[in-house]
Amino acid sequence: MDVTDDRALVITDAGPLIHLDELDCLDLLATFRRILVPEAVWREVECHRPQALLRADIKLERIGVDNPDPRVDTLARTFVLHTGEREALGLIEQFPDALFLTDDSAARLAAMALSVRVHGSIGMILRSLRLGQRSRKEVVQLLRDLPLRSTLFIKPSLLAEIISEIESPL
Amino acid sequence: MTTVQTDLPDQLAQQAQALVRNGWAPDLNALVAEALRRYLESHTDALAENFIREDVKWGLHGRD
Repeated sequence: MDVTDDRALVITDAGPLIHLDELDCLDLLATFRRILVPEAVWREVECHRPQALLRADIKLERIGVDNPDPRVDTLARTFVLHTGEREALGLIEQFPDALFLTDDSAARLAAMALSVRVHGSIGMILRSLRLGQRSRKEVVQLLRDLPLRSTLFIKPSLLAEIISEIESPL
Repeated sequence: MTTVQTDLPDQLAQQAQALVRNGWAPDLNALVAEALRRYLESHTDALAENFIREDVKWGLHGRD
């Protein structure tokens, strides 16, 4: 991946910041040239997981959002999004090639309606294997730790399937 | 019908009660049921699973 590319920019919701920090792997975001954290998301993380914002090795950019696209406002109301999610999607107009990180299904649906590239914490963890940030063994351990160390909920049978796929690649 | 007892933050309860008072919902029970129905529509098990599977594919085989 060319990290100087404009697409190497991420706008993040609170979930991935919190979940990745709970797993002590917020550093996985370091492959992005810029990590944008909308004001409302920043406040949410500050409330629930303040230490995630204090990592010296990860430069998070706190960014305000003015007058979001009316389409975003409509989608936010339709999908009953939180302010942080609405602000994150509002930034997309300014950074149309950015990746949006969220672990919320409704926010993801809204993002898809806006043709935004969107992924979540699980994707970031598996991406670390592809990019060589973590070994296969470390990724498997992270996935195993997920129900114990993080507040990200995932169906146990699906998690077991993913772990099996990582342990036994075709 | 199932009866569920839950604690709501004061501000949330006040907003819900105001909607009922202003005639936008018949009563608090109906409003809570409608809010829950809307949440469940966008947070189905199948949807969450699909998103995770997309993430797995992207994580392992994506180009960015």
